[in-house]
Amino acid sequence: MEERHTCTDKSVLDMTNPKPKAESQSDEAEDPDGGWGWVLVGALFVSTSLVFGLMRSLGIFFVEFVQYFDESAHAISWISSTGLAAQQFFSPLGAALCNAYNARVVVMTGGLLAGLGLILASQATRLYHLYLTMGVISGLGWGLVFTPMVATVMAHFTRRRTLALGLAFSSIGLSSFAFNPLFQLLVEKYAWRGALLILGGLSLNIVPCGALIRPRRRSKAPAKVDSETGSSPVSVLRRISSYLELSLLSERPYVTYTLGITLLNVGYFVPYFHLVAHSRHAGFSEYQSAFVMSAAGASDILGRIVSGWFSDLGHFRLIHLLSAWTTLAGVFIMLLPLSSLSGSYSALMVISLLYGFCSGALTSVVFVVVPLIVGVERMMGALGLLQLIESGAGLLGTPLSGFLKDVTGNYVASFIVAGSFLILGTLTMATLPHYFSCTDPPPPPQRSSLDDKHNGLHSELEHMTSSPSSDTNHRV
Amino acid sequence: MKSLWAVALLLSCWRADASTAPKISADPPEVSNQTSALLTCNMTGSSLPSKGSYWTHNGQVLDDTKSSNTGLTMSLNLEKITHSTSGKYECVFMTEPEAKATIEVKTLPHVVAYKHSEHGNEKDKGVLVCVSHGYPLPTDWSWAKDGDSPMPIFNGTSEKYEIKSTPNKTTLTINDLNLKDDIGDYICSGTSEVGTTFDKIHLRVRSRLAALWPFLGIVAEVIILVTIIFIYEKRRKPDEITDDDDSGSAPLKSNSNANHKDKNVRQRNSN
Repeated sequence: MEERHTCTDKSVLDMTNPKPKAESQSDEAEDPDGGWGWVLVGALFVSTSLVFGLMRSLGIFFVEFVQYFDESAHAISWISSTGLAAQQFFSPLGAALCNAYNARVVVMTGGLLAGLGLILASQATRLYHLYLTMGVISGLGWGLVFTPMVATVMAHFTRRRTLALGLAFSSIGLSSFAFNPLFQLLVEKYAWRGALLILGGLSLNIVPCGALIRPRRRSKAPAKVDSETGSSPVSVLRRISSYLELSLLSERPYVTYTLGITLLNVGYFVPYFHLVAHSRHAGFSEYQSAFVMSAAGASDILGRIVSGWFSDLGHFRLIHLLSAWTTLAGVFIMLLPLSSLSGSYSALMVISLLYGFCSGALTSVVFVVVPLIVGVERMMGALGLLQLIESGAGLLGTPLSGFLKDVTGNYVASFIVAGSFLILGTLTMATLPHYFSCTDPPPPPQRSSLDDKHNGLHSELEHMTSSPSSDTNHRV
Repeated sequence: MKSLWAVALLLSCWRADASTAPKISADPPEVSNQTSALLTCNMTGSSLPSKGSYWTHNGQVLDDTKSSNTGLTMSLNLEKITHSTSGKYECVFMTEPEAKATIEVKTLPHVVAYKHSEHGNEKDKGVLVCVSHGYPLPTDWSWAKDGDSPMPIFNGTSEKYEIKSTPNKTTLTINDLNLKDDIGDYICSGTSEVGTTFDKIHLRVRSRLAALWPFLGIVAEVIILVTIIFIYEKRRKPDEITDDDDSGSAPLKSNSNANHKDKNVRQRNSN
């Protein structure tokens, strides 16, 4: 019946499609879109800036490290590569621990580790100390912080999810602006060791952010513990696999989506690394090139917030919005080299602003689509696995574009390839089931029963959701 | 006898080649420590046709000097000679084979400190770096500590100072920094055949504990925040507990059918 109406006819959808609404209400009945949820958005804002904003501003220290340790810039750049890789690699671990215990403990521990890594780094006497401390330990801490916090915030919202995430992720751009001069100041006042020590202290502020997470949703842990009899290796493995949500890897929608996002990631970072070099190559001055990057960064922040607000208006399905932003970003990446080769600075500026806006817009939506595919219950593990799998793309994308530049002599080929990867990602996402329908499909049934105890639960669920009075049942 | 003839033939052929090989006279043969110069090359003594000419700078072809002028003279005007325009210039005549001559443009070495203000921690090591651009690169580097009477620093005289130098970079490492003695200006000088230039670096030594106070301040703030959050939560807990359990999602409710923990409101959905 819904197909007769356009996608923008929300009121009709509400009336004729009670099922998904009921499901979503049951998912978020804790704190529907408000109150404590916004406090958590603030906590996510702070912790994201202390994780990614900090990672992006570590360049200030690298100049010092090159000089102090007498190593090449390449060797020093491995520090941040290790940190980022560790954050993404340990994301499933963070998700699994949240499923096993609770998010509050995990995030607070992550904050402690992140701070500890930086504090230990301030005492480093060799380069490999920095790999271990700033790279592995802090990276592990960041991995334990980011995914759990994002999942927790998403669990607290339904209608305003994208806006909440968009507001929180705008912190990355804003904090990069603020941290660069701040870190420079710290290094000048306290030398790099003192500055790292203070940064470690700043990172400890993630701990109160984690403390703000109210302990909830303990159902998963007791349920799993009870359902497994004994601690034989098989049952332990089954438990671990359920905490990690490994079963997701066999589900086509999730795998399709992850693949699409991975393809997106191959091309996504290329402009960040190569835009300045390409502008210089095309003949613009250092200041002009740097300004282009800053402008793109500013429109990125704007894009995140606007996209968050717009997505929640509900006029379009999130997956469609994501496809639109991704395609646009891909197109603009491909247009970037063409605009600068024409010699026109204003053309380059305009395209960069548009690219920045679209790439920021898509980041707000990427995570929010996940619970629509896998359901809110499994969102935590799904996000963790997504982070891990998409990390491979980052490792592939930048060297590939560098290789193309070396082979062809300019950046045109790398930008075009990067843009086409984004469009390829969109095409992959178009193969998701129900992609072309106007409404979101109902989220999949909650966790399939691992044991008989929950068979009763399932029939109860179906009974509840199919009855017309289910709305009142769930609106507690 | 025959071999003698062969040798004589070879020699004369070679001499013939040499005599028809173009001679290029370059003027001036070398430029040293000048602010501007006009480089000229004259091709003489050759009947070989020239298809054109161009100049190269340090091995790289200067595109805007390419000319298809078949004349025997080419010139290049260097209006301002700085460290970036110094180096080896080659005038190339596009004959078969190419004929070229080299003119060296030399300037004072351009010595620049990597960073003019350096910071180190007490008892840690401090690293000061100077780099040089231009042609020719310095052959000698020296460091001195500035003051009323600048004291030169020599490599290897004590464990305190280590100097590592390459033609384009020199590094002075000061071990075991002392708060009182090691603060100040350091001068790095680079000497080449043309002359000497130097630059100054100011070294600041920080006490190891300087950063400790802000750090402890931040840690205290973190502990206070966490305490406040937990206390606030404990205060609200009695009211919150019923709300929490009440608003659990469907699976939550059904689970606790089997498990005791959350006493209250399951009745609505219980069978």
